[in-house]
Amino acid sequence: MSDHNRGFFPKTALITTAALFLSPLGALAQSAVASASSTQSTTSAAKDRWLHVRVISSDAKGETVRVNVPLELAEKVLPTINKERLHDGKVKIDNAHVNDVDLRALVEAIRTAKDGEFVTVQSNDCDVRVAKQSNHLIVHVLDKQNSRKSQVEIKVPMKVIDALFSAGKDELDLVAALHALSAQGDTELVSVKDHENTVRVWLDSKNVTD
Amino acid sequence: MMLLAKAALGLGGTLVLAGVYTFREGVIRVDVDEYRAGGSHVHIWVPAAAVPMAMHFVPGGHMRHASEQARGALPVLHAIVKELKKYPDADFVEIVDHAQHVRMRTHGGKLQIDVDAPGEKVHVLCPLSTIEDVTSQIEEHAPAA
Repeated sequence: MSDHNRGFFPKTALITTAALFLSPLGALAQSAVASASSTQSTTSAAKDRWLHVRVISSDAKGETVRVNVPLELAEKVLPTINKERLHDGKVKIDNAHVNDVDLRALVEAIRTAKDGEFVTVQSNDCDVRVAKQSNHLIVHVLDKQNSRKSQVEIKVPMKVIDALFSAGKDELDLVAALHALSAQGDTELVSVKDHENTVRVWLDSKNVTD
Repeated sequence: MMLLAKAALGLGGTLVLAGVYTFREGVIRVDVDEYRAGGSHVHIWVPAAAVPMAMHFVPGGHMRHASEQARGALPVLHAIVKELKKYPDADFVEIVDHAQHVRMRTHGGKLQIDVDAPGEKVHVLCPLSTIEDVTSQIEEHAPAA
C-alpha cells in the first residue's frame, strides 16, 4: 500500500463513520422539528374545547383537585366504556330512578316554553330558582340553614339538554351532549360554594386551569 | 494496525447506531420508593423501543392470557392514548393537599404519573407511542369473538 493510500483509508473510514453517526442525528433533528411543528399545530389548534373541574377545600387538609379534559377526547373514549348502565356513550335510566316522571316530556315542555321562571321558592331555609333564560336552563339554590350558607348555580345550554335526551327512551346520550357542549362558547356550567368547599365546572379553549 | 483502526471505527459506529435506534423513542422510567420497614425501592429505566420488540418473544399463551385479563380495559386505553397524542402537553389531573401531590400529565409525547405521598413516592414516565404499541400487540392476541 502506498503512503498516499495509507492516509486515504483512515480518512475515508473516519468520514464514513462520521456520516453514519450523524445520519440518525439528522433524522432525530428532523423528527424534533416535526415534533416541534406538530406541537405548534396542536397549540394553534386552540379551537379544542376543554372541560375543567376545580374543587378547592378549605378544611384542615386543604385539598385542591384540578381536572382538565378535552371534550373531543371524552367523546371518543366514552363509547369504548361498556360497564353497568353505560354503553356506547349512553346511560340507561329507568323509571324507578326518576320517580315515574316522564323526563322527555318535561324537557320538551321546557324547550318549547318561552324564557321565564319555572320554579321560585323563597323560605327561611332556602331559596330555589329554576328558570329558562337566553336558551339556558338555570338552577339556583341558596341553602340558608345553620348560618353556613351554601350556594349552587347550574347553567346548562338548552342544546346540550336536547342532545342529552336525543337517544332512545330511557337513555341519556352523553356523547351527543358533549358534542353539543363543544359547540358552545366559554361558559361556566356549575358553581358550588359553601363554607368548606368551592366547586367549579367550566368550559373554555385553554388546556390549563387558571 | 490499520485493520484494527478500521474494525474499531466500524464497531464504534455500529454501537452508536444501535444506541440511537434503541433510544429513539426515549425511555420508560418507573421509580417506586416506599418509606417503611421492608418497603420496596424499585428503579427501572428501559429503552421504550425495546419493549414492543421484546413482546414478540413472549409466548403466545401468556399474551392470550394477558389479552383476556385486560379485555375490558384495552379499548379504553387504546382510545385514550390515541387521543392524548393529538394534544399539546397538559396537566389532566392534579390533586394537592398538605400531605400529598398526585399528578397525571402528558409531557413531550410521554405520559407522566407522579405520586408524592408521605409514605411513598411513585413516578412513572412512558412514551404514549409505546403504550399504543403494547396495547395493539396485546389486542392482536385476543381470542376471536
